[in-house]
Amino acid sequence: MSNSEPLLSVERLDAAWDGVPVLRGVSFDLGARELLALLGPNGSGKTTLLRCLLGLEAPTAGTVRLAGRPVDGVPVHRRGIGWMPQDAALFPRRTVLENIAYAPLLQGRSDAEAREEVARLVTLLRLEGFEDRAPHQLSGGERQRVALARTLAARPRVVLLDEPFAAIDLELRTELRTDFRRVLRELGMAAVHVTHDREEGMFLGDRVGLLVDGVLEIVGRPDDVYRHPPSERSARLLGYNVWAEGPGRIAVHPSDLRVVAASTGRRNATVTDSGSAGPDRLTVLALDDGTRVDVRERAEVPPRPHGSVAGLDWDRAVELPPRARPKEPKSAGPVGSP
Amino acid sequence: MGQPVARDLRLRLRRRLGGELLFLLPALAFGVLFALLPAVALFARSWSDVGGLPGWEAILRDPLNRLALQNSFGQGALSAALAVGLGYPVGLFVGRYRWPGRSALRSVLLVPFLLPSLVVVLGVLDLFGPAGLLSGPVPALASFGRGIPGIVAANLVFNVPIVVLFTAAGCDAAAPELEEAVRTLGGNPRRAYRDAWGPSTWVGAAAGGLLTFLFSALSFAPPLLLCGTRCYTVEARVYSLDSILLAPDAAGLLALTAVLVFLVPTALYLLLLGRLRAQPGRARRTLPRVPWRSPVAVALAAVTAAVVVAEGAVLAAVLYRTVVPSDGAAAGTAWSSLFSGTTAQRLGISVPGAILNTLAFAVAASAITVLLGIAAGHAVARRPGRARLVGLALFVPLLVSPVVLAIAVATFWRPILGGVSTTWVLVIASQTVLAIPFAIQSIEIPLASLGRGPAEAARALGASPWVAFLDADLPRVRQGLATAGLFAFALGLGEFTATNFLVTGAGGFTTLPVALYTLQSARLGAAADAAAGLLLLLSLAVFLVLSLGGRRVEL
Repeated sequence: MSNSEPLLSVERLDAAWDGVPVLRGVSFDLGARELLALLGPNGSGKTTLLRCLLGLEAPTAGTVRLAGRPVDGVPVHRRGIGWMPQDAALFPRRTVLENIAYAPLLQGRSDAEAREEVARLVTLLRLEGFEDRAPHQLSGGERQRVALARTLAARPRVVLLDEPFAAIDLELRTELRTDFRRVLRELGMAAVHVTHDREEGMFLGDRVGLLVDGVLEIVGRPDDVYRHPPSERSARLLGYNVWAEGPGRIAVHPSDLRVVAASTGRRNATVTDSGSAGPDRLTVLALDDGTRVDVRERAEVPPRPHGSVAGLDWDRAVELPPRARPKEPKSAGPVGSP
Repeated sequence: MGQPVARDLRLRLRRRLGGELLFLLPALAFGVLFALLPAVALFARSWSDVGGLPGWEAILRDPLNRLALQNSFGQGALSAALAVGLGYPVGLFVGRYRWPGRSALRSVLLVPFLLPSLVVVLGVLDLFGPAGLLSGPVPALASFGRGIPGIVAANLVFNVPIVVLFTAAGCDAAAPELEEAVRTLGGNPRRAYRDAWGPSTWVGAAAGGLLTFLFSALSFAPPLLLCGTRCYTVEARVYSLDSILLAPDAAGLLALTAVLVFLVPTALYLLLLGRLRAQPGRARRTLPRVPWRSPVAVALAAVTAAVVVAEGAVLAAVLYRTVVPSDGAAAGTAWSSLFSGTTAQRLGISVPGAILNTLAFAVAASAITVLLGIAAGHAVARRPGRARLVGLALFVPLLVSPVVLAIAVATFWRPILGGVSTTWVLVIASQTVLAIPFAIQSIEIPLASLGRGPAEAARALGASPWVAFLDADLPRVRQGLATAGLFAFALGLGEFTATNFLVTGAGGFTTLPVALYTLQSARLGAAADAAAGLLLLLSLAVFLVLSLGGRRVEL
């Protein structure tokens, strides 16, 4: 594999469940040591995509290459792609140590080598003191750490992480996120992380892809993707408000919107709700055509009376293309390896 | 003063029992009245009549009693081992692989389990007995028509499908996530079997093996018709002691011995059954079914084909003999012989009367079983802790065999109810008690896997536990109810052991299986052939009615 060649390359991947398309023409590259976050709502095909890469599901069309070689038809256990499922899937009757040592021993590494590998991962993932515990004696976060350690112990070339923090408390999720990124960086591991949490995706990914209705609409650097949603669906996935403005449609992020006095902004809207959202105040307005618009204001702003008319102004808007399904992912910045 | 105390007592009682535990009470009361109490009374009376421990020791020293215990263990263990050996590969093929007709075969495999034991015994005789369809042309096969080989062959007809269904249930209980984890960690399919999904199939096969061991160790009709005294199991020996040798005390204490001896396998079976159950409320995937292309899969398919052919041959032989009787009578005379006046005279009841009795008892027993099973299954599913413990009492009939149950019920209730005219009550009660463990299982397993969400939502909206159960849970376990009803009806239809004991001397209550046994014992071959065919057709009809209703019937 040359330096410029991607480690993992996915070309025009299609998949279907009982004839219903789940993935349509998904293409992307993943460079060595790169972390790609794929962001998509529930049912967008994220898990199916990972399962196709792993060989757990057969795509209906397309090619997956690992280090330049197609892996279509290569059995799951010979692909060298690691996987961390949402529910950890630890062996229930093995201890933490035995779970992590599973792959090294399976690969025929010596006991000493396996022990060394396990000890390194235990330290790296801060699992000291848990080695002899059974999975049911661990918290959700600890189980996820063990699952990552077990995956990494197999020394895969790429790791696929399927919403590993979805069932974890918000507070712990932030800590785990940071830890996982640190570990993957320290090991120089390439990874694809799928999630429906846009903050998580933006934080973890060197690049971010938006998967909507089985179509990978865009892949690029987090800032670029955030600033240039290619479609209404992508914009909504990133939390934008979308409405008709003139002949087309625009997307405006709640943090780019300001509520001003009636008739002094670009649009007038009616306040339908207003309440605290922790550090911000969330004001919900309705445009003339009934479109809902969310605005995040400073917490000190007093609540706006329900039914009052206010003006809307914005600093930045994204002009959206006409509603049509793109066939290929659009690039926001470099599409291939960074 | 009085009112607060009463309220406090009520609250404490409710807290102690729990709302759902009250659902257990009807089934428990039924089980205590028609199984536990009569059995304890029988054992206590026998104990005191023989003079306690010395008398019991003397009974255990009796060579024929010891032989019966040995036979039970020997035949039971051999039958169970062979059933696991044959049933496990078929279970894997049914549970893990994708092939046309898989689902249909899984349903059809219940048929032998639901068949009256006498029909199966006759099927084995039709194939391997004197002038058997197979032993005729190949005399070496005649050994499978008598003695221990014959008993084991008959047991296998019931037992192999049970192991198949339990093994397939083990496949369903396995976590696909674990298999995927092993594969993505570098494990090949064999390793995934060993470390991920195989263990739950081993649990399934072990549970099936234990159940078949219990069924075989306590089998009644096969040793009676295929061998005789030297092959008697405990069940047959107890019957013989009580009804032929008129030694009810010895029968009672031998039965008590059997209960104590079989306590451990029964407890183990229940333990393994618990491990096969789905996690309550957890919507889960099942293992993906894979195409059968590997050499291992082809070998499993070959074993499956052999088992299907063997099971089919037994049933086909029974049907064939209704056309060409086994006693050499002219073709087509079996049915006229069955419905003839001579047969009615011999039986003490017309055959249509026996059919009517059979259907009436089975319908009544299945109705009571479903009603009691719904409530008890709900309690066990919703309160897996204490209720499961209490609910275990309802599995006592697995342990207290049908003959012991019949002796105990007859001894306890006949004096209270007043003679043989109330035999119908005892027959229905016994058939109900024997069916309840299976009914509870059929209802509890789907209920437990559903989760409590909708029922709790109904409670939060103001519904009482009963209304919440009716509105939220019951509509979701219709298949379980249908299966429970089918089991109860089919078990009642073919129940021979307890019914035979109870209707002896009360000819008006004779059922078709008892009639079949009488005809076979009296060597009225053609009539017996037709009776066996009729029972087989009735069992198949029950199965078909449910299958055509669009419900998949599974254990």
